[in-house]
Amino acid sequence: MTSLDVTADAARRPFPGRRARLGDLVLQGAAGIAALGALVLVGLIVWKVISGARLAMSTFGLGFVWHVRWDPVHNVFGGGSLLYGTVVTSVGALLLATPIALGIALFLSELAPRWIRGPVTALVETLAAIPSVVIGLWGLLVLAPILRDHVNPALHSTLGFIPLFGEPATYGSNVFTAIIVLTIMILPIIASISRELFQAVPAELKEGALGLGTTRWEMIRGVVFPYSRGGVAAAVILGFGRAIGEAIAVALVIGAVTGVGINFFKPGYTLASIIANNYQGASSGVETSALIYCALILLVFSILVNLLAQFIVRRSARRLGGQP
Amino acid sequence: MPRNGKLVRSSLVVAAVAGVAALVVATTGTASAKVAGGSVNGAGSTFVAPLVSNWMSPVQQQLGIQLSYNAVGSGGGVSAITNKQADFGASDAPLSQFNPTCSSCVQIPWALAATGVIYNLAGLQHLHMTGPVLAQIYRGKITNWSSPAIKKINKGKSLPDKAITVVHRSDSSGTTYNFTDYLSHVSSGWKSQVGTGTSVNWPTGEGEKGSSAVAGAVRTTPGAIGYVDVYYAVHNHLGLFLMKNRSGNFVQPRAKGILAAALLDTHPKKDGSLSIVNPPKSRKYRNAYPICTYTYVDVQKSSSNATNIKKLLTWAITKGQSYGPALIFEPLPKAVVTFDKQQIKKIHS
Amino acid sequence: MSAADLSVLQRPNDRLRRRRVVNRLMEVLAWLAAAAAVFILGVVIWSVAKKGAGALSLDFFTKSYVGAFAADGVKQGLANALVGTFVVVGLATAMALPFGILIAVYVNEYAPRAIRSVVNLTLDVLVGVPAIVIGIFVFSLLVVAHGQSGYAGAFALAVIMLPFVARATIEVLALVPNSLREAALGVGAPRWRATLGIVLPQTIGGVLTGATLAVARVAGETAPLLFTCSLAAPGTHWNPSQPLQTIPVAIFELIEQADETSQAFAWAAALVLILFILFASLGARWLATRSRRKLERAFR
Repeated sequence: MTSLDVTADAARRPFPGRRARLGDLVLQGAAGIAALGALVLVGLIVWKVISGARLAMSTFGLGFVWHVRWDPVHNVFGGGSLLYGTVVTSVGALLLATPIALGIALFLSELAPRWIRGPVTALVETLAAIPSVVIGLWGLLVLAPILRDHVNPALHSTLGFIPLFGEPATYGSNVFTAIIVLTIMILPIIASISRELFQAVPAELKEGALGLGTTRWEMIRGVVFPYSRGGVAAAVILGFGRAIGEAIAVALVIGAVTGVGINFFKPGYTLASIIANNYQGASSGVETSALIYCALILLVFSILVNLLAQFIVRRSARRLGGQP
Repeated sequence: MPRNGKLVRSSLVVAAVAGVAALVVATTGTASAKVAGGSVNGAGSTFVAPLVSNWMSPVQQQLGIQLSYNAVGSGGGVSAITNKQADFGASDAPLSQFNPTCSSCVQIPWALAATGVIYNLAGLQHLHMTGPVLAQIYRGKITNWSSPAIKKINKGKSLPDKAITVVHRSDSSGTTYNFTDYLSHVSSGWKSQVGTGTSVNWPTGEGEKGSSAVAGAVRTTPGAIGYVDVYYAVHNHLGLFLMKNRSGNFVQPRAKGILAAALLDTHPKKDGSLSIVNPPKSRKYRNAYPICTYTYVDVQKSSSNATNIKKLLTWAITKGQSYGPALIFEPLPKAVVTFDKQQIKKIHS
Repeated sequence: MSAADLSVLQRPNDRLRRRRVVNRLMEVLAWLAAAAAVFILGVVIWSVAKKGAGALSLDFFTKSYVGAFAADGVKQGLANALVGTFVVVGLATAMALPFGILIAVYVNEYAPRAIRSVVNLTLDVLVGVPAIVIGIFVFSLLVVAHGQSGYAGAFALAVIMLPFVARATIEVLALVPNSLREAALGVGAPRWRATLGIVLPQTIGGVLTGATLAVARVAGETAPLLFTCSLAAPGTHWNPSQPLQTIPVAIFELIEQADETSQAFAWAAALVLILFILFASLGARWLATRSRRKLERAFR
């Protein structure tokens, strides 16, 4: 019996009396309105963003998504380079963060001595709690000069044959710095969710594998990973969603230049960060609407990512037959 | 269970007290805001921010007005005054440059200064620069300090073999307007490829938000070049180029150069705008610095705070100008002051 | 046994050695990953502490910000930002808390299954909306018509807090066993009385935890405040009908200034923010453990 069944039963009893029935009505009404309010809120957000973007949508159409030129003087705007920048920085951060996050999760669930698990878990969650403006501040004033002076030239000289690590940067604000900053931000999200998933793997399965003579790593690869595959995928996707929506930290370190390029050491721009930088002083109604169009793309993107993560979690839960 | 009941009741009491306290504080906050004297609140250009900041204390003392200013950039200032979110908006670009713009505003040129072109090359002082070469640099066509074009105008200086890091504004900026206006005047290639505006499609370079950020970026990046209000350059001890004017002289962005350029246009157009960029070759302008600009204050013609605003603006274009020269803002020419006084008359409650 | 039999033992040992090497390698990598995370956290906090501690002074907490071009000798601090954050976040909590609790009550006590999943989906979607989009939403909803204000900023923060508060309350409500509800109804209490007076009080600990975590999350948000509550007048103000300066927006603006004082202030503000968030997160964690233990003890 769910709590709903228990309390719904109560409403049918004749005992309570008029005052009670009024009270029930008021509470149920208020709670119902609140829940409805949440739905209305989401609808309102979508509606306001779409209506703000309407001018740009009618002027530039769907082509906005792949047109690259962002020209306030001639009022020609295209979100292509911003979408490119968003995807490049987020995917880059994901590729860097996922292995490290999984390593941390494995460490905390399998390898760490008991006394170290609590403190390190707390430390990882503290990393998640650092606000984006502080990471942006640190990234711009501490990380960027280090990258510019030491890391980027080293990367260019060793890996320069890959066009990603082309001409080393003369300034610290570029796509590479943004990728590192985003990596730091999404690392704890993926790590904590994965840690919980790994800890939830039934001990019998793990002990069974170990009993057959596998090494710890083989057990992890053969039992822990497949068991938590769905949840880890969802965690990775949630981290991706976080990365694409990050405006402030990226705005501070990415160098604010529209355009599509391969070289990570050149500045770039993303959907979220151009809104943060330019919205306040957009010089024309069309530019404002173009920025809201960017917000619309961002909104659609994040909702889809979120739903995808939900779907994967639900599907893997069903496959395992119960709560993951 | 009884223990929890008490917990609920006591937390409700605490919440109620906190709520009442918050309400009391909020309403007394409202009351204290209406202190005697009045206040004027503005937003906009980072270019004029140093001057306005220096006005705050004397305005408080001499006029009893509390002046506040948010340097969000010219675009932000025009947007704020158009939407009536501030008492005045400050912009280095005329209102006609913005769309939507404030059609119910008066535009008043209230300060005169220059845009300096800054660079970071250790040990090299007083370098020369010309408009066409500058345009080439900002178009990405000249990428190294040792390029022959730069060497030619800087004979005798040992320019390093270093990449040029171009820095520009990422936000909507009147300084950008002044700078690109100049580049469009001196380079037809720039004019057709990029044009003039408060925010443009930059061919190359890295964007920073605000004049301070541009100055900071140039200061921390060897080999960088940028453009800011002259004050930021001097304040941050950055190298300033001597720009070649049309009379063939290389001029510093200082009082003499600014005042000479201001002679080009002393009668504002009907909407209040003036252009003093790139004065022509003539004995009168032989010492003119070519990238000078007026900066404007935009005020709604009809405003509930009109009395204080008019007091402030009248002071600003007269007594306030004396605070300028220390920050490399030059006093307004008499004809401009006369025009401004007429504009101020148009403001009413 | 012949020599041939012994050689059978030889081969698996080579493979075993390789497997052990790979195992050891993976363990080392995992240790390195954890070390990297701790190292990064340490570097960030150490940078902020080192650069920020210098600017912390009594003035910092009591005087308000005058500007980067203030005349020399003028004392300034960030009292306006501290006060503003307190007011705006406080208002946001006041808005989000009752709303979130009511949603949780509805989902757990009244909603049929279909509606429950719809509301849960809505909350999940709300969590996924980027903060900057919420800032634009509140701007077009409230600021275009009425101008910036502390209320608009608080509303934007409340929208972000809502799903966290609601979800935390839902989880804690679900932990309350049905026997409690049955007992309340059994003595004749009407449903609303049972929910408000008996069931909900059990969850106070969990709700407070959720609220504290939401506050910690939202105290550092800059994006929603950029367009709704950033053009603050100088001086310290408490009135939310005007835009108020807040710590994260102050940091964002100070970063752009190129002079030493502003940057020192930015670091100091970052330090204060981190300390507050750490304190709130630890507090929430302690609350969570304490309330969970109380619930377990009560219903063993």
